[in-house]
Amino acid sequence: MRDLNDDMLVCRCEEVTVGEIRKAIREGAKDVVGVKRRTRAGMGLCQGRTCEKLVQQIICEELGVGPDQTGTSSARPPVRPVSFGELAKGVID
Amino acid sequence: MKQEYDAIVIGAGAIGTSVAYHLARAGYQTAVLDRGDIASGSSSHCDAVALICDKLPGIDTKMGQASIDYFGELARTFDYDFEYCPKGCLYICETQPEFDAAENYCRKQQADGYAMRMIGHDELCAMEPHIAKDLTGALFTPESGSVAVSPYKLCFAFVEEGKKYGLESYTYCTIQKINLDPDTNAVRSLETNYGTFHTKRIINCAGAWASFVGRMTGLDIPIEPRKGTNLVSEQTGRLCNHKILEYGYMLSKFDSIHFKRNVSRLVEEQNIAFNLEYTNACNLLVGGNRLFRGYDTRTEIETMRAICERAVRFYPELADIKCIRAYSGVRPFVRDHLPIVSDVDSIPGYYIAAGHEGDGICFSPITGKFMEQIISGKPTDFDISRLDFARFSSGAAAKGA
Repeated sequence: MRDLNDDMLVCRCEEVTVGEIRKAIREGAKDVVGVKRRTRAGMGLCQGRTCEKLVQQIICEELGVGPDQTGTSSARPPVRPVSFGELAKGVID
Repeated sequence: MKQEYDAIVIGAGAIGTSVAYHLARAGYQTAVLDRGDIASGSSSHCDAVALICDKLPGIDTKMGQASIDYFGELARTFDYDFEYCPKGCLYICETQPEFDAAENYCRKQQADGYAMRMIGHDELCAMEPHIAKDLTGALFTPESGSVAVSPYKLCFAFVEEGKKYGLESYTYCTIQKINLDPDTNAVRSLETNYGTFHTKRIINCAGAWASFVGRMTGLDIPIEPRKGTNLVSEQTGRLCNHKILEYGYMLSKFDSIHFKRNVSRLVEEQNIAFNLEYTNACNLLVGGNRLFRGYDTRTEIETMRAICERAVRFYPELADIKCIRAYSGVRPFVRDHLPIVSDVDSIPGYYIAAGHEGDGICFSPITGKFMEQIISGKPTDFDISRLDFARFSSGAAAKGA
């Protein structure tokens, strides 16, 4: 992890880099949700499914905490993207 | 870490961070505390606009306009970008009776000097090419009375700008006890997981949780949580050009305005008022509703269904756009729909700035300014005696509701 370049993309949906995440942690972010609000990492189409583990690792590294202390993004519906039309009709599988 | 402050602000949402920023700027050694992160409560579970056209005529609108004007000044002077973006607002009217009710409201606001006007069907369709074609018209408020901001970035901005004046913040800070002087009942200190902070002034800005902080010193602060839900779309093209609300929004916000819409039972039960806005990141935010559910902020699938039903009715193309997330939060509800911004007679050095319900983001700049004026013993920019906490002890709120 120490070798990660600040320019490396972590959140591909929102194009958030390692450097931006480190900066958010320096500004006070202590968990995944704190990083998300300061950088948008995890706010994109995949909702953090791709980047969340990596964000957790960077938090552990920067703050010297264990993975159980980084929190996770709040679980919210829908589980996967679904159209407003389908939702309106109540077609939920 | 310092252990003594001129003022300690409890709650780091839009109201608390604004109050903290204004106190620090005025020269007070100030700390802002939150039991979670900055902006971890209502200020990150809401939508993102400040409007005058969702306010009742009178002090409600006056505070809204003053705050919106002040947002522009803050955006120009702050280094931290909180995504300030003036954007006009359309209150869409589904039927002629709704249009008439909106027109009546519009006339009152115009008489008070606020910029807004009614527009007909054709003009609405020209301004909003993707909107349903069977609507009667809309109440249009130009950018002077309608701006967007990122609510959580606003909180970060107040804290970061406040740091330039020595503001300190303590996050994940729990208050164990608030100590008052045994003789004078004045504020003396707070015991927290960071240790004891000595201070002569505390400002309760805990929003929907203000009543819990109040109880620590025996105060009964009548603020209840009122739940709301928003849906987030995938990033998409510009479906709307303005902040869009349905006039029925007024119905759901102020139960004093009686108006029956022709909507499904689900929409009625869920107290849905359609609203739509685009964000800087090209997502759409689709809302919303108001329900009493205690502090339960889990997103309810029936609420999502009802919001979608109403949304597709007004913007049919939404049917094919994907929803990627829904979020719910609570607003600090006060029965008379006015916030509490004042001192507390029984406890010298105790102040409250809370209870803004759905107007916390909009009112945050002006509330911070007022609270600094109150604490410094200066006259407020205009009379806000109706926001005094004392209105509840006299039984005035029950009569006024």
